[in-house]
Amino acid sequence: MEEKIISKQNLVKLCADIIGGGHILIAPGKTEYVVTQDASQIVLDTQSKPTKASYKTFVFPKAEPVLYYKRGKNDVQILDAGPEQKKTVIIGAKPCDTNSFNILSKVFNWDYKDDFYNYRVKNFIVIGMMCEFSDRYCFCTSVGSSPVSEKGSDIFLIPLDADNFAVRIVTDKGKEFIDAYSKYLTDGNPSKSKEVSEKVKHPEVAFDSKQVHDWLAKNFEHPKWDGVGDMCLSCAQCAFVCPVCHCFDIVDEDYSYTEGRRMKNWDGCQFGHFTLHASGHNPRDIQGKRYRQRVNHKFKYYVDKFGEILCTGCGRCSRGCAVSIDIKEIVANCKD
Amino acid sequence: MEELRKLAKELLENKTVAAVLGYVEIEPKRTKPIVITNPEDAEKLVFNEYCLNNLAVYLTKARIKNLAKQNGSVLKLGIVAKPCDIHAIIALIQESQLKREDVYIIGMNCGGVAKDFGLEYGADTLASKCVPCETHKPLYSDTTLGAEKETPKVSDEVLDKIRALEKMTYVERFAYFKKEFDKCIKCYACRAACPLCYCQRCITDKTIPRWIESSPHSRGNFSWNVVRAFHLSGRCIGCGECERACPMDIPLSLLNRRMTETAKEAFAYVSGRSLETPTLVGSFDVKDSDELFM
Amino acid sequence: MENIYKPYLAEIKEIIDETPDTKTFRLQLKDPEVAKTFNFKAGQFAEYGVFGEGESTFCIASSPTRPEMIECSFKVYGKVTQALRRLNEGDTIGFRGPYGNWFPLEEQKGKNVVFIAGGIGLAPVRCVIDNVLDWRKDYKDITIIYGARSIGDLVYKYKLKEWRDRPDVKTIITVDPGGESDGWDGEVGFVPTIVEKIAPKAENTIAVICGPPVMIKFTMPVLKKLGFSDENIFTTLENRMKCGLGKCGRCNVGGVYVCKDGPVFNYAQLKELPDEF
Ligand SMILES: Cc1cc2nc3c(=O)[nH]c(=O)nc-3n(C[C@H](O)[C@H](O)[C@H](O)COP(=O)(O)OP(=O)(O)OC[C@H]3O[C@@H](n4cnc5c(N)ncnc54)[C@H](O)[C@@H]3O)c2cc1C
Ligand code: SF4
Ligand code: SF4
Ligand code: SF4
Ligand code: SF4
Ligand code: SF4
Ligand code: FES
Repeated sequence: MEEKIISKQNLVKLCADIIGGGHILIAPGKTEYVVTQDASQIVLDTQSKPTKASYKTFVFPKAEPVLYYKRGKNDVQILDAGPEQKKTVIIGAKPCDTNSFNILSKVFNWDYKDDFYNYRVKNFIVIGMMCEFSDRYCFCTSVGSSPVSEKGSDIFLIPLDADNFAVRIVTDKGKEFIDAYSKYLTDGNPSKSKEVSEKVKHPEVAFDSKQVHDWLAKNFEHPKWDGVGDMCLSCAQCAFVCPVCHCFDIVDEDYSYTEGRRMKNWDGCQFGHFTLHASGHNPRDIQGKRYRQRVNHKFKYYVDKFGEILCTGCGRCSRGCAVSIDIKEIVANCKD
Repeated sequence: MEELRKLAKELLENKTVAAVLGYVEIEPKRTKPIVITNPEDAEKLVFNEYCLNNLAVYLTKARIKNLAKQNGSVLKLGIVAKPCDIHAIIALIQESQLKREDVYIIGMNCGGVAKDFGLEYGADTLASKCVPCETHKPLYSDTTLGAEKETPKVSDEVLDKIRALEKMTYVERFAYFKKEFDKCIKCYACRAACPLCYCQRCITDKTIPRWIESSPHSRGNFSWNVVRAFHLSGRCIGCGECERACPMDIPLSLLNRRMTETAKEAFAYVSGRSLETPTLVGSFDVKDSDELFM
Repeated sequence: MENIYKPYLAEIKEIIDETPDTKTFRLQLKDPEVAKTFNFKAGQFAEYGVFGEGESTFCIASSPTRPEMIECSFKVYGKVTQALRRLNEGDTIGFRGPYGNWFPLEEQKGKNVVFIAGGIGLAPVRCVIDNVLDWRKDYKDITIIYGARSIGDLVYKYKLKEWRDRPDVKTIITVDPGGESDGWDGEVGFVPTIVEKIAPKAENTIAVICGPPVMIKFTMPVLKKLGFSDENIFTTLENRMKCGLGKCGRCNVGGVYVCKDGPVFNYAQLKELPDEF
């Protein structure tokens, strides 16, 4: 689509206008994506490390009320809950994050529609940015993305020089959004930004996801799962920081004798009690089976069901794992 | 390193141990935990400033414990342990989670470890747990390996921060911790990485009644982080694994360290230092002051 | 915005004590508009919620052919089922559903049907039995084999009587050896043994089987010996669930969402699934 240019100074002004317009603006902070009140504090660095957690919490909050209730003598009143309908803009998202909504939207809409998620995504503008970071844990290129992928971005930034960004307008939603700030933009030259983006170093492709899929289909029982499982600590750090893990729990919590709310909270398949039945039976009773579920869900089941790999290759789960379990390495070894 | 590999190989070969918990290098300045049962694999073992994990966490895991059971007899589990890791082993023995004879401690002399993988090791990058460490040599071991080393001397920032927090008003202190705890996502990596969080059923998982709200919002997070600190007071050995595991960078060691300092001042007790002393909770005396922890 | 997590409200019209730890609720949806249009199919389930405690998954035990009341039966285990037990007639609970797939009863018309159930496993089967009985002329021979540990553990005693009294249904009730007492006029023996003894013919027959895993484990070879093919044996899976909507990820067995693609499966389908249920 179209391409424009924005100077860094103007980008700060644009951000200030977004905040001033009453929208929520999210930008990468030191270790997290944070809601920003001060546009001048935003640092857009293509070489920054991916934040520790993804920004999925802004569309699929870590804790979210789905309804409020009030108990009477033997009656109950239900009050609806719903997301705040505020325009939210994220700026400087890495390509391994931007693609997450495309993937998540599948499960949240394949039959029943989760409007808590949908309404937030509808109000979300994703301004992605080219990435020049890469460490041993990155593997976006192995799951169909790349450090210059525009997938999932409404607008995509490419630094042209020390003072200017190329602004690629990727979607209609992005165009409609950026048109309101056209005074900060000048016309761009796609060939220039292309030159920059083509020079970006790509992480090496670590595996062929199709081969991994087929190997998983044949190796549900395999000693490697127990090997990983014995070292894994059964936390859910890996699921909670992941941009596309979407498991949740539903719990009620009272805040008075008669009132309370029903919450939808993040959960993860690495917890032992995730699948534990009330009778005591647990289909995934040991950690090896749970880790097997993690890999299979991401690289096989989700692919079969929804046609997408449930992984953007961001490497967060591994980077943050207390015992250095590396999903890229494990998946790359899913071969005979 | 060679003595470590040789010892591990021997122990496995002569069936003194069924398995060795140790570290392997995955790239320069980065290691990860491994459990080896095959003597041939002993050559993979390493020990250096990047052996950050406290492997004692594995000693209470069912499947690791089961490794010790071989053809009817029960062998020991070997563990490569820094002095601070040995504190955890001692604490587990004090708390009857383990018997001394269950483990073969390959104690390592230690001059400190790095804050994180990939960093150049030195005074600036010394792990905060190593700053107040007074041990450096294994207090208990079956074999001690490695040369004694000097640890860089740096100021105790965690303690300074604690003292600063103590000077704040209650309201300020509350605000500080609220902001930190609000970041918590309830992934329970802190609990999973802690060698002393070994409960089969943690209080947060109990639902009838539900003691701790499972939601990761202010209230639920406060109860979780505070209850966890309380459950570890007088028990935490200060290995810092919880803080290292926390993806949200919550300064958990401020709480744990403060509890440890309090126990030290009031009872001259530090967890995991002696097999002869009972646990702090186990040595409760009605005459003990109860104004300490608030 | 549509809130898929929002339940209907239902009033408990009647509570039946089935066994010391199993109860049946007869429910009516409170909103008359909803009650009028509500419909479901045999085999579907719902989420039943006690506000302040949470939701639990039970099948709808009543037949869609008898829409006056929605019935569910539950065994008391944990938090939610204990809270449900404390409720009284007239109280309000949440009801989300119907969810999941159903038994392909329409497609099986003209066949013989054998029902095999154990313990509380009769709950999901009961709905199918009543449905088939209400469409009696569409099916050939109907056999019900139901067993429990002891007489006291038999659920739906009033139903059992009704079925036994019908001449057009063969109903066999059994209790495990030692579970009988004086005056027991049913069979004594484990369900698999009884199935072997009754030996329903497999030709043009479908079997619906639900019960504790051990019962299923030992009954399957008997059915195979009798000549039942995997495609003609149906059961329901019971995985832990939360949303019932194919979102929360809890009920997955391999690529299958038990809450959406199930809970009803035939054995050919189950054989395709990884051994994780
Ligand atoms: C499709 C289906 C149909 C079912 N039909 C019946 C029935 O008709 N009668 C009956 O007695 N039981 C049935 N169950 C099992 C029933 O859902 C559990 O026994 C019940 O949820 C236990 O809840 P609790 O609150 O007592 O246990 P807790 O352990 O306190 O449960 C807490 C939560 O865990 C979940 N949970 C725990 N165990 C199970 C389980 N086995 N299956 C699913 N979720 C679980 C529940 O969602 C509950 O919200 C069915 C399960 C499924 C999946
Ligand atoms: S892989 Fe790592 S982060 Fe994930 S559950 Fe295991 S120990 Fe925790
Ligand atoms: S599985 Fe790991 S690498 Fe893949 S998207 Fe999730 S956090 Fe990133
Ligand atoms: S990997 Fe596990 S936590 Fe993540 S979406 Fe799949 S089942 Fe859920
Ligand atoms: S609380 Fe933290 S510092 Fe203390 S023993 Fe546990 S992991 Fe180590
Ligand atoms: S590791 Fe950190 S984010 Fe996770 S539960 Fe513990 S304190 Fe919370
Ligand atoms: S119960 Fe939530 S996905 Fe099936």
